[in-house]
Amino acid sequence: MNRLSPTPTILSLLPALALIPVIGVVVTNVHDGGRLLLVEFVGAALQPSLDPVVVQSAWHGLQITVATALFSWAISSFLGILLGLASASVVWQTCVGQSWPAIVIRRFLAIPRAIHELLWGLLLLQILGLSPWVAILAIIIPYTALVARVVSDQLDTQDRRALIALQQSGSKPFPVLITALGPKMGPVLISYIGYRLECALRGATLLGVFGMGGLGIDIQLAFRSLDFQELWTPLWMLAGVMFSLEQILSWFRSHLRSSKNAIKQMIITVALMIILTLISVPWLNAVDIDLSESVSWNAFPWPTVAELKIAFNTLPWIQLVSSTIMVTLLAAGIAIGIPPMGMMLWPSRVGIGVQSYIWALLRLIPTPISALLLLLFSQTSLAVAALALGAHNLGVMGRLLKEGLDEQSNSGWQSLRASGSGTQTAWLYGCFSGQSPSYLAYAAYRTDVILRETVVVGWVGGTGLGWQLIESLGSFNWAQVALLTIVFATLTLIGETLSDQCRQHWLGPSKVRPMILDLQS
Amino acid sequence: MNALLELKGVRVHGPRGIRLNNIDLTISSGERIALLGSNGAGKSSLIAVANGSLTPNRGLVLWQGHSMQNLRQGKRQAIGTLWQDLRLIEELNVAQNINAGALGSRNLLWAVANLIYPLEINACKECLQAVGLSTDLISAPIGELSGGQRQRVALARVLRQRPELILADEPLFSLDPTLIEEVLNLLLANAIISPLAIHRTLLMSMHQPDLIHNFDRVIGLRSGSIVFDHPSNELDAKALAWIYRSE
Repeated sequence: MNRLSPTPTILSLLPALALIPVIGVVVTNVHDGGRLLLVEFVGAALQPSLDPVVVQSAWHGLQITVATALFSWAISSFLGILLGLASASVVWQTCVGQSWPAIVIRRFLAIPRAIHELLWGLLLLQILGLSPWVAILAIIIPYTALVARVVSDQLDTQDRRALIALQQSGSKPFPVLITALGPKMGPVLISYIGYRLECALRGATLLGVFGMGGLGIDIQLAFRSLDFQELWTPLWMLAGVMFSLEQILSWFRSHLRSSKNAIKQMIITVALMIILTLISVPWLNAVDIDLSESVSWNAFPWPTVAELKIAFNTLPWIQLVSSTIMVTLLAAGIAIGIPPMGMMLWPSRVGIGVQSYIWALLRLIPTPISALLLLLFSQTSLAVAALALGAHNLGVMGRLLKEGLDEQSNSGWQSLRASGSGTQTAWLYGCFSGQSPSYLAYAAYRTDVILRETVVVGWVGGTGLGWQLIESLGSFNWAQVALLTIVFATLTLIGETLSDQCRQHWLGPSKVRPMILDLQS
Repeated sequence: MNALLELKGVRVHGPRGIRLNNIDLTISSGERIALLGSNGAGKSSLIAVANGSLTPNRGLVLWQGHSMQNLRQGKRQAIGTLWQDLRLIEELNVAQNINAGALGSRNLLWAVANLIYPLEINACKECLQAVGLSTDLISAPIGELSGGQRQRVALARVLRQRPELILADEPLFSLDPTLIEEVLNLLLANAIISPLAIHRTLLMSMHQPDLIHNFDRVIGLRSGSIVFDHPSNELDAKALAWIYRSE
């Protein structure tokens, strides 16, 4: 008998071990210079600058960020739904009896999806110059492809018995699709699209940190001048917006859940999206972002084959790829393992409440800022990059885990407590065990996201594909940029395939939809 | 006989009214008690109060003379519950589930290690054998078991806990007649002459009046109140009709 049977529960906890080498390296490289600055940073959180100039600037930046996020989100959601329908096998099979066009479109959409919005931003910056469309398109392109994938995945994994029954009754394809699949799609789509709005807001802030307008610029400038009081003014504003958005979306989801009419839910959501798009354009104009201004188009300087050969021979590919994978694995370990480990060690209501606040703070601070904070007292290393990236994603994982646990019945916990188990063991067996397969499945998806996000912290580690890409962009080496983009996209597509397989393993073939939907709905 | 569990003036309010009303009950060591009552009479609430998972709005629950509310967590291990919905952990295998019964007397490290590599496998096998299951099932995932096997694994988990009192909430619910007899025999056998050499007491809720001759005492519940409590051989048709008559 093979007794070794690591359960999903333990497999969710073990990745926390990644924190040990990471902390070890960070602590070894620690330097005293930044300790005072770190204390100042923490202290400034309680005394953000209320200088009218700073507040006004942050307010202006916040409006740009929110309006950019709203506009990009609405457009990418519309396009994503359309492309999702176009890349769903069930749609093509029902309409024309063939599914190959869906497969072709889906493969094509994998490329924009594989490249992080920051990379899109940097590439578009070279092509369009400094234009408000850079940030907007940088969000729209990957988000459209992501929404399309979720929509097509959802459509293709629905139970088709009702659809076949309607088809055999002689109904036309589109009414059949709407009637058989529409009601099931409604709640899932609404939940996912709501989640993308939160992502768009984070993305718009991040693009600002890299100089593409909005609140991120205020954050970046305040950090560069080490004026932490000024840094906390936009950060608290962002926290306020994020918190309000979470509450509004949560209310909206629970309100829609109580309504049984899925088609009505979708109509309300689409109407709201149209209203928000219509609001965001004049709002952007009001904050001096003119979307109608002409864009200077500089065609991408495609490299020659000879240049590509030189670039291929120049770059240390093994080192770049291995360090990217290393940062991904370490960051994913921290992000996946720490939330359940923390909740297991401190499962009381107070403990989980405190941890929830810490997660919210980690989600709030953009990853590059976390990395800069770590650099205040530690030297540049892969560990710093992994810690910064892991910390941000830990905030996301923690929140999703808590949401999942809150919706789960507490009967397991109750029965173990009644049989004399301690709080920690009762939490581990009675609460977390039930949630762990879903958590692991979502962790696989998150690892895939972390791989894309390594580009954001690449410069901290001083190595990795993301770092090299930014370096190559800075030196206008288009051959290197092209090759690095292809390698990065290939790597993320491999990661995506692996994470899909992991999700299928943990949830079974009937539940291949992204876990975000299970935990966010 | 020593009083193990005492309920004094226990009252429990639910969202739809009173679930238990002024319950006075003493359970002594070694007793086999059947709890009868129609659906919604308060049987599950009484069991939940007895195992400490439900705190009454009024009244006292005493375990060996000590208030249940202030009872040390480790002491609760002496009360084992066979829940109606079994509450097995679907994500763990049979051995790990059986070991979950021992968590009250083990530390966190043991609990974590059991998730990697099921521990104390012989003790688990002993419990499996006690409930009449093959030890070949020891590493089977819970999801692969039949309804009857799941019921037995849940009982094995209770035995692994080594409780002095077993509370069984409708364990015969939805079982076919052959299984009813088997599960009942297992519970009664383990209640009195345990293969694990522990003298046990049993309080079991059920809907089968024809089986009460196996018990020493019968308690009838109606609308949250005890309407009769006497030796099983004194139960008559009139009393039965009273508890199952519509309100």
